[in-house]
Amino acid sequence: MPTWRQIKDDQSLWDIFYFRQEIISLVREYFHQQNFLELFTPILVPSVIPESYVDIFTTTLLDRNLKKNKRFLIPSPEVSIKKLLVAGLSKCFEIARVFRNRESGSSFHYYEFTSLEWYRTQASYLDILEDCQNLIIYIFQKLKKKYPKRFNKKYLNIQNYKIDLSLPWQMITVSQALKKFCQISFDEITDRNNKKNFFPLSLIRKIAFKKGYKVEVNNTWEEIFNQIYLNEIEPYLGTDGRPTIIYDYPAPVAALAKLKKDDKRIAERFEVYFGRIELADCCTELTDYKEQKKRFRQNLLQIKKSGKNPIIADLDFLEALKSGLPDCAGIALGVDRLIMILGNYSFISDTLLTYN
Amino acid sequence: MSKTTTSDFQKGMFIEFRKEVHQIVNFQHVNPGKGSAFVRTKLKNVKTGNTIEFTYKSGEDVEQVPVFIREMQYLYKTDNQLYFMDKDNFEQFQISGESIADFRHFLKEGNIYQLYVHRDEILGLKPPKKVKLKVIEAEVGIKGNTVTGAKKTVLVETGFKVQVPLFIKEGDIIAINPETGEYLERVN
Repeated sequence: MPTWRQIKDDQSLWDIFYFRQEIISLVREYFHQQNFLELFTPILVPSVIPESYVDIFTTTLLDRNLKKNKRFLIPSPEVSIKKLLVAGLSKCFEIARVFRNRESGSSFHYYEFTSLEWYRTQASYLDILEDCQNLIIYIFQKLKKKYPKRFNKKYLNIQNYKIDLSLPWQMITVSQALKKFCQISFDEITDRNNKKNFFPLSLIRKIAFKKGYKVEVNNTWEEIFNQIYLNEIEPYLGTDGRPTIIYDYPAPVAALAKLKKDDKRIAERFEVYFGRIELADCCTELTDYKEQKKRFRQNLLQIKKSGKNPIIADLDFLEALKSGLPDCAGIALGVDRLIMILGNYSFISDTLLTYN
Repeated sequence: MSKTTTSDFQKGMFIEFRKEVHQIVNFQHVNPGKGSAFVRTKLKNVKTGNTIEFTYKSGEDVEQVPVFIREMQYLYKTDNQLYFMDKDNFEQFQISGESIADFRHFLKEGNIYQLYVHRDEILGLKPPKKVKLKVIEAEVGIKGNTVTGAKKTVLVETGFKVQVPLFIKEGDIIAINPETGEYLERVN
């Protein structure tokens, strides 16, 4: 975690800044070659979309007469980008500084971080997956040329793992992972025939309880599922010599994703893991205005209940959806984590300039 | 036992996990993409010395095990059992070698150590920041070798081998960090 004092005393600490800049330049270079438009959307916004799992920073905007207006720091540029897709944009990317409160005490989270997001219209998560693999391989090839001593020719060292980036990467659906690592079938924790609720709590509670997890009355399906996922699946992701793409998530853990046509229990979403580190999260975007409105309401209620910083919901986004978001897919990739992975750093803070 | 939650977690704290006493080696907050908050812990079973990972829901109830620290003198070792005595009441305790893991390389008979005790049972040893031990075997440093950072290996009284600077000689008392096994300084 370098501060200016430490850098003044140890000039080798400059390395990380040059390494970071090199990676960001390569990201730009790649997307310019692919004809993506680079965006700079607002960071200070009057409203945000309600997402129960993020805590938003609030600040006050004053006009010349000291009239106060609430403003929020974005947790992701996705809303502004989607509005531009409605306006007619098709291939675009943004490297944005984003903010999330209550993210302390972790090697992989920081309250202020850099998110790379890109979107394509008339596309699904599989198209974005291809972009994602090509981008990372492109960056790795260029870095190997620039820093021949730093990298092994064949694989990337990430903490205790050796990861070969050549294609194909390991692909596994959440349903297959449940079977393989937890001995649970997806049908056991869902009710395919219950059109009103595919995810009755009673089914997953029973399984979690049998496995020895503590299950409380107020636990949601998402919490119970994620606890099993984090304990029994995630430790194996991206550890078997290749990056892992885990895809097709249960709908309750894919808030803004489109559901699969042939199975409405499953959302088109994937995540990429390198040696247990989650790098990126992608989905085919939900374009249904009514469904989005419903999820807005549910999330607003949950934010209220959980005591998180209250927000002003971005109704303009609902308007945009109503006027027609084209079929599209997008991804958020943690740039600081990409630097951790490529540079084999153990802490996200190793990659950032800090002030204390 | 007392109820606590993940927000009170501290390194070194003792909790009950699946009916056995574990010590929190470290913990991390994690948020899966699009999910609520969780706390990933590394837990050490104090009986077996095994370490496991477990991820709690943030805010989940956990049983804290009340553990006291008592100062005891290390007496001797038989087979794999270590014997300690409480200096205040002369009560004797025994503990298996595994429960103190790597610290066994630094135990010296007659020295006082801090031990974790729960219901009259020793759960483990609280390693000090440094241990002071006498060097009993050391090669003489080669004269004229002034390369900075040059090291040699010496043997200390507990049978542990450690890398030290060339000026350390037999009979010196040196401080070692028991966690890393690294030389810290010359004490005498």
